[in-house]
Amino acid sequence: MKPKRPQLNLTELHQLKWLLGGALAVLASWSVLYLEVEAWVLLGLITLTVPVVLRWPLLTLHIPLWVHRLAFPLFVTLFAADYYLGKETMPALIRLALMLVFYRAVTARRRRDDLQLIVLGLFLVVVAGVLSVSLAFAFQIVAFTGCTLALLLVINLVDAAEAGQAVKPATLAAPPAWMHLNWGRLARRLREATDWRVASLGAGLFGGVVGLSALLFFSLPRFEFTNNLFLDNLISQKSKTGFSEAVRFGDVTDIRQDTSVALSVDVSDPRQIPANGYWRMLVLDEYSQGQFSVSAELKRQMRDQRQPAQQISGGARPRFGEAVWTFYLEAGTSRYLPLLGDFSQLQFNDGPQDYAINDALRVLRLQKTPAKMFAYRVEGMRFETGLGSPEVSPPRDAVAVAANGASDAAGDAAGGKTASLTRPSFLELKLEPADRDRVDAWARALQAPRDDAAAFARQATDWLARAHSYSLQVTLAEGKDDPLVRWMASNSPGHCELFAGAFTLLARSAGYPSRLVTGFRGGSWNPTSGNLTIRNSDAHAWGEIFSRQTQTWLRVDPTPGMAELNRNDRTEKPEALLARISDRSWSAKLDGLRMFWYRRIVDFDQKSQTELARGAKVAIESRAKQLKLSLNRVIKEVGEWLQQPWDIRRLVTCAGLLAGGVAAGLGWQYFARELWRRWRTGAARSGMDPVRREAGHWLRKLDAAQPRGVAVFDTLQVRAELERLRYGPKHGWPEARAVFRRARSFHVKL
Amino acid sequence: MSDFVSGPAVSEAKKTLDRLRASMRQTIKGKDEVIDQVLICLAAAGHPLIEDLPGVGKTTLAYSLARSMDCAFSRIQFTSDLLPSDVTGVSIYDELERRFIFKKGPVFANVVLADEINRATPKTQSALLEVMDRAKVTIDGEPHDVGAPFMVFATQNPVDYEGTFPLPESQMDRFLMRLHMGYPKAADELDILRAARNSYDAITLNAVATREQVLHVQRICQEVFIEESVLGYIIQIIGATRTESEFGAGISVRGSLALKHAAQARALLLGRDFVIPEDVQELVVPVLAHRLSLLRQSSDPMEERRSITASLRRIVGNLPAPL
Repeated sequence: MKPKRPQLNLTELHQLKWLLGGALAVLASWSVLYLEVEAWVLLGLITLTVPVVLRWPLLTLHIPLWVHRLAFPLFVTLFAADYYLGKETMPALIRLALMLVFYRAVTARRRRDDLQLIVLGLFLVVVAGVLSVSLAFAFQIVAFTGCTLALLLVINLVDAAEAGQAVKPATLAAPPAWMHLNWGRLARRLREATDWRVASLGAGLFGGVVGLSALLFFSLPRFEFTNNLFLDNLISQKSKTGFSEAVRFGDVTDIRQDTSVALSVDVSDPRQIPANGYWRMLVLDEYSQGQFSVSAELKRQMRDQRQPAQQISGGARPRFGEAVWTFYLEAGTSRYLPLLGDFSQLQFNDGPQDYAINDALRVLRLQKTPAKMFAYRVEGMRFETGLGSPEVSPPRDAVAVAANGASDAAGDAAGGKTASLTRPSFLELKLEPADRDRVDAWARALQAPRDDAAAFARQATDWLARAHSYSLQVTLAEGKDDPLVRWMASNSPGHCELFAGAFTLLARSAGYPSRLVTGFRGGSWNPTSGNLTIRNSDAHAWGEIFSRQTQTWLRVDPTPGMAELNRNDRTEKPEALLARISDRSWSAKLDGLRMFWYRRIVDFDQKSQTELARGAKVAIESRAKQLKLSLNRVIKEVGEWLQQPWDIRRLVTCAGLLAGGVAAGLGWQYFARELWRRWRTGAARSGMDPVRREAGHWLRKLDAAQPRGVAVFDTLQVRAELERLRYGPKHGWPEARAVFRRARSFHVKL
Repeated sequence: MSDFVSGPAVSEAKKTLDRLRASMRQTIKGKDEVIDQVLICLAAAGHPLIEDLPGVGKTTLAYSLARSMDCAFSRIQFTSDLLPSDVTGVSIYDELERRFIFKKGPVFANVVLADEINRATPKTQSALLEVMDRAKVTIDGEPHDVGAPFMVFATQNPVDYEGTFPLPESQMDRFLMRLHMGYPKAADELDILRAARNSYDAITLNAVATREQVLHVQRICQEVFIEESVLGYIIQIIGATRTESEFGAGISVRGSLALKHAAQARALLLGRDFVIPEDVQELVVPVLAHRLSLLRQSSDPMEERRSITASLRRIVGNLPAPL
């Protein structure tokens, strides 16, 4: 039965509605950030304009009437033109929605317009959510939902307050009162009108709803989407990192360090993580006109599947105790899936996919670059530990055999049509004669022993490192000859692609089959989420050379410093390795959160559900067992203790325990009653004057420290002043700070 | 904030009340609490009902208050054959002037002692209703102002119920407080015995406050500041009496106004220009108890009073004061 809390009047409700609508428009428009839709102009327009009209709503009245009349025909025309030119439905629709949101956000809205804004925002958010399924989207939808609910509430309140009265259209001559907006005043009024109990109840209800949703999410039967939702097909994705099917050497290169995450890898046994993993994605074998590309033969070797499949069997045989690797490839990274080497089995988490595979090169390609996080599990993963360890390479290598001129029955059977194709030799050098001579001369100058690929690789790497240093910014001298040969002839620094390309040319000139491989190298260990994180800045290129002695391909990383790193790492223990590559930065922690989102929410399928349920059951059972055991033990111990002879020490212990129990009970009772009292009276309610609240706070403290009856004169005086501050008329208040200071000093003394 | 009193006005009012208290203490020994309550009634322009056994100083209390003020005092002994006109006055035909002349009754005074009010018939008791509420008497359609300030000092005997007419609830509601004198302590009684003369006439008190001063106190009292949360506290207490299952009916709006005025008067008495929750807590029992009756009425009136008091104390104990 407290005094009635102040309530917002109609003007303030209108202001609040205006504010919430603007926030909603901006929130909804930002969802476009997750989509590959060209809408930067509209996005910028909304983000810049809406705060301005939120601050100065009167500006909206300056829009001439003909603009309002022409707005919708204009939008429809723009949409038609957009669709006609772009031929894509979804981006055109999204741009239309953004235009409408913009229009609604910068003009005065009636109830119908507010509802329209909500629906448009909902459309944008839902489309973005379905297409991206990112963690940021989860946060956004929570904010959007809160904003929408609040807006709907305010709309209802406004509606009730207006009680069906006709509202006159706003004109510049007679602007409605709510357009004279003062944010500070509105915030104050909001604070006064909001009861912390209502707020806490609201928060509790919201938490309950979220908890219930989570429970439903984990317990409902999973629907298996046989394929991606149709929306995925409405937007084309472009690769972010520039993993294309060709490496071109230009005159000027400036590689930007993009540290965003490209790939996260879960390993069931972290000890099996390689010190410096080479995540192969693409093998390039043809060099001509200054660029490495995939030859026509290799392209034909990629086996396109006739129908989508979810599981792929690899060349490796399963072994006991091998780790399971789960890869989470970020949206838009590449359509080539990173792998360390051969595998025994690979499974797509999102159901059957269209893909193509080259068994021999161990290159796996999806039909399209995934538009959202793409996950796949790999079992029996093999990886070459580096140069000079051929034993881990797969024994059956179709390309190697082919390069030797023998036939490969298994490859023919699997590929079907490949029998009639020529095998790539990995020896071809399409260079101008002058360039070719120079490369041959360098290869001869190496004086490497014949038929020892490892020795050649070492010498070629050393030769390259002597002439060139490593740099991400490369500027080549101008010339008409081949850019890669020109770089080899110069002393310019180079990046990994130049080193790897030069090595491939040298090896081919010396008669070794060789090829350029692109992908990622290394990665960091994220201790928060327990996974490997590979960033876009880890993108790398290296070479592979065929050793006729061992009949295997060897990996050669000619980029300066890499060989040294690889040699040192081989002796490192798994724990030391994990500690070395651990990334404990804040961004890593955030990445861990994202991993949780993908592992536990987005990628939560029936299997995970069963695992979770089983895990929960096991955990509950084991806890119950432990509890039972410990209870039995305690009962037994107490029984034994009681049977022992009594002495003073035991009596004192007993009395102490009893007193402690009573004190704890009394303390709890006091504490609980105090909580209840605060809840009942709303002691921290925000509507009260802060000075009165502070004075009440000190009165409570003094009362607790020294009951009224036994107060000495000094405290009586402070108490009287506090009472005046708490209950007295404002015009008679003493200086509040001084009173509080004295109250604090008395409290300390007491 | 000009609606509220200034510091000097409050201290002046407090001085007046202090003088009255000191003066009454000379004749009423060891009953400071009752004196304070009477002064609260005076400041709040309310009427006290003193309920106690005969001979504990009820009348002396009224006498000493009246004498301490520069005010007219009258006493009405209520009996079963007392008529309303005996209280209010009567119009008599004057042969010489050939018209009715109103002869004022004993109620025309500033302090009226209505002794043993429950001995009179309800008809006579109700003659007091109008005058208590509005300080006016209407005879033959003509209103007559009684004195200002005006205070009815009623007494009644709770134990001896033979031949009494219990006060109707509407009339009980018009008393601001019900007070109890109680027996004095031994030391105080010894002082009384030592005094040479004990008759009412022997009360030789000089007036320490003028009528204007008392009226000023009453005016100031209404302007004592009550903060919103304290008003809310009063409402909470009143609300609790209405939902309490023990009581036959809750406190009326007049009751909540009475509690507010009494709390303002107590604040003034203690020299404050604002009310604190303690003022309300202290006055809950004297201001509210006589307005309540138990749902299951007890045959023993004293027992009923005790149980009502206990219930009120419990209500106050359970409701947290606004801090």
